[in-house]
Amino acid sequence: MDKRLREVQELVAEARAGNAAAFETLYRSHQAGIFTFVRSLVGEWELAADLTQQTFVRAWESLPRLRQVGAFGGWLHRIAANLVRDEAKSGRARLEIAASSLGDGDAPLRGVEDTSSERPEAMTVSAELRQQVRSALAEIPPEQRAVVVMHHLEGLPVTEIARALGVRPGTVMSRLARAREAMRVRLKPYVEGDNE
Amino acid sequence: MSDCEQIRRQLADYCVGGLSRRGRARVAAHLRSCASCGAELKALERTGALLEAVGVEVAPDDWELVRQQLAAQPRQRPRPAFRAAWGVGMAALGVVLLVLGGLVLEPAHQTGVKPAVVSVDAEMRGTMENHLSAVWAAPLADEAAVGLGLAELDEDG
Repeated sequence: MDKRLREVQELVAEARAGNAAAFETLYRSHQAGIFTFVRSLVGEWELAADLTQQTFVRAWESLPRLRQVGAFGGWLHRIAANLVRDEAKSGRARLEIAASSLGDGDAPLRGVEDTSSERPEAMTVSAELRQQVRSALAEIPPEQRAVVVMHHLEGLPVTEIARALGVRPGTVMSRLARAREAMRVRLKPYVEGDNE
Repeated sequence: MSDCEQIRRQLADYCVGGLSRRGRARVAAHLRSCASCGAELKALERTGALLEAVGVEVAPDDWELVRQQLAAQPRQRPRPAFRAAWGVGMAALGVVLLVLGGLVLEPAHQTGVKPAVVSVDAEMRGTMENHLSAVWAAPLADEAAVGLGLAELDEDG
């Protein structure tokens, strides 16, 4: 079994038993992913931060009922997605957001250097290009955006995304493919020819 | 529709691994001889690489706020698997006993039809009693009860 996965499973087991320190470790390793996922859907930074907090509070409450400790990441996203849906239903958040409300050109790039060994094609991008990508991402449909964020930005496998969203893996693949086409059109100057 | 048009409609699915083995082989064969579609595939692959390079955002560190809320929140108790399985096992056993009891007790002359089972012999009665004792003592040993219990827990996590 993957070492990281085994560590997460051990932490989840300890947190289920009431160990807050173990849950803090889980919070620190998952909060950026959940925040990115939520923000991609609601846009507003403050609201995304608030919903991220709520996600972890609800997760702590419900942890004793989590049966598959290995599915913790996907389960967290499911909680977050439900909270986003509740916000959207209440009218406090819109899922269709303006491109300008997403992205922070000054935010440091995370994960690229760390994951370069696992993802050979990983590249470094300028703050301006990162902003362009985030703006383009904000223009595609939310259901496509959600799977792109989970798969490409966070690195979750398709099966875990499917479980988190309650859809079939084939649906996730299809959404990823349609999103790839949409993003390729929007990022045309950066992905054609010699441009990177 | 030309070959290239057909292939290009499938390139994104090819990129994400969403094609069948046969579809994948067809696209791969076309790509070996078509530089134009090859360039399009490259653009789609670069799009994926760009998305991965963007990575996750820097999130605010709100652990202290989360921790305070955790301390104030009641926690849901785990539903012990043995209790769920025991309950289901008892219910299933009850249904079986009721059915058997009905067959034994119902007078044949009331229906005019010879019942399929008219009595429970000593061996079956012994088996049922042993099963009842076993389920009571070790509910997880009852496969049917465990299966139903786990199915019920699936919805939680």
